[in-house]
Amino acid sequence: MDFSETISLQPDIPEFVAVILAGFGNELSPLSSDAGGEPSPKALLPIANQPMLDFPLTWLEQAGIKDVILICPTAHRQAISHYIHSSSSTSLRIDVHPYEETEDLSVGTCTILRHFTHLIQQDFVVLPCDFVPPSSLPLSRILNKFRTESISDGCIATACWFAPHRSEKGATPDEWGEHDFTSPIVYDPVTGTLLHVDTPDDVDRNGEEIELRIGLLTKYPRTRLSSSLQDSHVYVCRRSVLDALAQKPTYDSLREEFFPWLCKVQYQRTKRERYGSVLTPATNILDQRVALRHSTSGIPDDLLHEKNQTTPLDEKNVGYSAPPSPTSDEDKDGADASLRVGLVMHRDPSELAARANTLRSLLELNRATLSKAQWTLPTDPADRALIDPKAQISSDSIIGESTRIEERTSIKRSVIGKHCMVGKMAKVVGCVLLDHCVIEEGAKLDNCILGKNTKIGSKAGLSWCVTQGGYEVESGGSYKNEKLEISDWAAGGASSENDGTSEEDEDDEEDSEEDDE
Amino acid sequence: MSSAAGPPPEDAGQSSAPPGTPPVKSQKQMTKAERREIQERQRAAKAEKAAQNQSKNPGKSSNKPAQTSKESAPAPRKVSKPAEAAPRGAQGAAGQSKDTKTGGEDKPAHTRGLRIFSHFGLPKPTSHKGEVHPAIVRLGLQFSEFKITGANARCIATLTSFKTVIQDYVTPPNNTLSRHLMTYLSPQISYLVNVRPMSVTMGNAIRQLKLDISGTDIDLPEQDAKDALCGKIDTYIRDRIIAADQVIEETAGNKIKDGDAILTYARSSVVEKVLLAAYADGKEFTVTVVDSRPMLEGKKLLKVLSSAGIQCTYLLLPAVGSVITEISMVLVGAHSLHSNGAVFSRAGTALVAMMAKQHSVPVVVCCETYKFSETVQLDSFARNELAPLELFKSFPRNNEEDSSSLGDRPNLQILNPLYDLTPPSSITAVVTEVGVIPPSSISSIPLALGRTIL
Repeated sequence: MDFSETISLQPDIPEFVAVILAGFGNELSPLSSDAGGEPSPKALLPIANQPMLDFPLTWLEQAGIKDVILICPTAHRQAISHYIHSSSSTSLRIDVHPYEETEDLSVGTCTILRHFTHLIQQDFVVLPCDFVPPSSLPLSRILNKFRTESISDGCIATACWFAPHRSEKGATPDEWGEHDFTSPIVYDPVTGTLLHVDTPDDVDRNGEEIELRIGLLTKYPRTRLSSSLQDSHVYVCRRSVLDALAQKPTYDSLREEFFPWLCKVQYQRTKRERYGSVLTPATNILDQRVALRHSTSGIPDDLLHEKNQTTPLDEKNVGYSAPPSPTSDEDKDGADASLRVGLVMHRDPSELAARANTLRSLLELNRATLSKAQWTLPTDPADRALIDPKAQISSDSIIGESTRIEERTSIKRSVIGKHCMVGKMAKVVGCVLLDHCVIEEGAKLDNCILGKNTKIGSKAGLSWCVTQGGYEVESGGSYKNEKLEISDWAAGGASSENDGTSEEDEDDEEDSEEDDE
Repeated sequence: MSSAAGPPPEDAGQSSAPPGTPPVKSQKQMTKAERREIQERQRAAKAEKAAQNQSKNPGKSSNKPAQTSKESAPAPRKVSKPAEAAPRGAQGAAGQSKDTKTGGEDKPAHTRGLRIFSHFGLPKPTSHKGEVHPAIVRLGLQFSEFKITGANARCIATLTSFKTVIQDYVTPPNNTLSRHLMTYLSPQISYLVNVRPMSVTMGNAIRQLKLDISGTDIDLPEQDAKDALCGKIDTYIRDRIIAADQVIEETAGNKIKDGDAILTYARSSVVEKVLLAAYADGKEFTVTVVDSRPMLEGKKLLKVLSSAGIQCTYLLLPAVGSVITEISMVLVGAHSLHSNGAVFSRAGTALVAMMAKQHSVPVVVCCETYKFSETVQLDSFARNELAPLELFKSFPRNNEEDSSSLGDRPNLQILNPLYDLTPPSSITAVVTEVGVIPPSSISSIPLALGRTIL
């Protein structure tokens, strides 16, 4: 018996294809800007020393999705390809596609999807590269909801919203960016349907009130409004959604414009008429219409006669409508589908789910993984030799390979990358250090995020700072609440727009800033 | 002297006994009763020690006393496991082993102590296998979430999915479609069975499909063979379900006269069609829909019938006795029909039929011939299915926070058997597409039709 033959020859019918959008990461700006001439892609920024991109990829693998299309800016393509090909065995087939975009000219997610429509032949999942799913939310849960409802109900997409971790207002400095990314949504808890998303456009139009259609309330009389949920940007969609997207060329952002619009199709009659046929094409590969008509738990809409849908003036027609035939005519079938957008809500206070697209959330995610970390001396003797026994390293830190830690350093609650060097008597508390950082003796770091190759001079003190890769802090320098970027030399040190951002000239080592301590 | 010489050498032999203790008799000297006593003491001591060891393990102490008493009871039943019917065997063994696990692990509360229906277990959480076609995965989800229910619907859904699977199939080289396709479909079928036990209709349909597959001509090009199979599936659905339903509509419709009060139970796709067709024909009748928890399918039937204009009454199963005197005919559907004339149908049908028979109301079962099963079924305990708790909450849906409280109590086991058996004595007639037959002559039908299998 030839087992290999029988299994391998069946055509691999991928049920879903995943589309991962890796953007520039403008919110993570000093970290994601070029580090010494090389691009530093947002997708490769580490959380607990694992590139961010790992998390959605593992999530996909666990759910059984094999095909991945990864779309990234052209500048980052090489770095990301290199990472994917060198990473340990994954059973995913990842296709990296570059898209022409630069840091200043950011392209909307809708445009990107429109551009790559030809690559997607079947139902797809859109994921951001920065979503870190909690272990209590498997992707298969969202997929199963989509699978069940797209057959039994004609659902067109499923979204996932989660309750983000709320921290106190003063926890991170305001210079680091916005705190809150939640937006109000209206949903139906019983069926799990997303009904209305308040977009920034809506807020601009009418900041005081949320406007809802009566059609929505007629269809779903018991709804809930919540403003504590954040969009995870994970969307499981039918292929026909791309056709609808093609019909809306002005939309730029999936999250802010397209999906809120898509939620309206299910209850707005005019939109339904215009787009209903696009969203449920006649050639549906697997449809169970006949089975659903015979099913004892569910009523396809056309079994309820027209009486329910016509205006009350049409009383005469009651009772004269013909009974439905079991093999119905093809024209009415488009009316069956509910064209809903399903919703999976995830509220788990014990585990953090977050999108690592702001500095604050990046720091929090690193910290969240630290609470599960148990640091022990590395088993590799070469690594162990580099770590001085007199160094005080608390057990909730993570230290990367080949990192050298000298004596009498104190490291607490921090994530330190590979090949770093922490000098004597340095104090590192609550920080995230990327690879190849050098911290000289006596430096004190407090709640900082240091980019790759950052060099901190001796006796420098940094508190709540973020540095760009390759930056060098002079000895004795002290900064607080600042984003330190390598200025563009050619521009002659033009100031950037961000508040509290200061630029340092590498030559200016004589500059003495005020000592905050 | 001689007697005194007897014990001392023995005592000397057992010099390990400390001085002053009574002499330990050897096994031979003790009577049978004394030996048994010692054995019992040893056994009790061992059990106590084992219990102590178990209680030392964290979190298991509370389960242990319950477990030990339960272990002895299901243990003899375990021996009789092999005697169970084959399709139940795999599930039964799994369900049984879940029950009697001595580790006392923290299984959900409803599997522990489920003595009465434990042999058909609960639907297992399904693991996604690599070789299962996505259409079958989706179908399995529809079944497990109870979105497609009912014997006809499940059969049609299964056959439709299999059409997709067949179209996507590629025959490997050195193999023929007629031989290999069956082995390709087997894991898909077992995946579906894992999700929900197969209905008789699905079983019959798949048997027919297997027959068709093995009968395909070897010389046909692959696409033609696949198209032919899909055509045969379509024919099966059309002839034995859709067309059969139309004939039953007519036949049963003739039985309905103006002014009738018809009672129906839960929701049957055939009965729904019969009633709607009869109403469209212009007959005047009223319908009483009897419903029961947890599925509450009657509500949906009520919606359909009343939107068509039929005058309906709705009540729950316990109230049947109060309306049965005003009913002129009971019309029910069936999940399957067995050789001894028994009807296997939604749980509660037996009650309705029995009640009707008591009051001399004719009970008419509408059933297509493809629902016949050659097995003999005598009661609804040997073969049944339990509905999963999460899907059907007993409380109204708007208080979803409260409804979860039912499942959490340790002293409350909730069982939802889905089917029950109506004995042939309660049934007046069965309406099929080949005519109206008394339940006792079911087994002669296939023969009369010239079919060797159902």
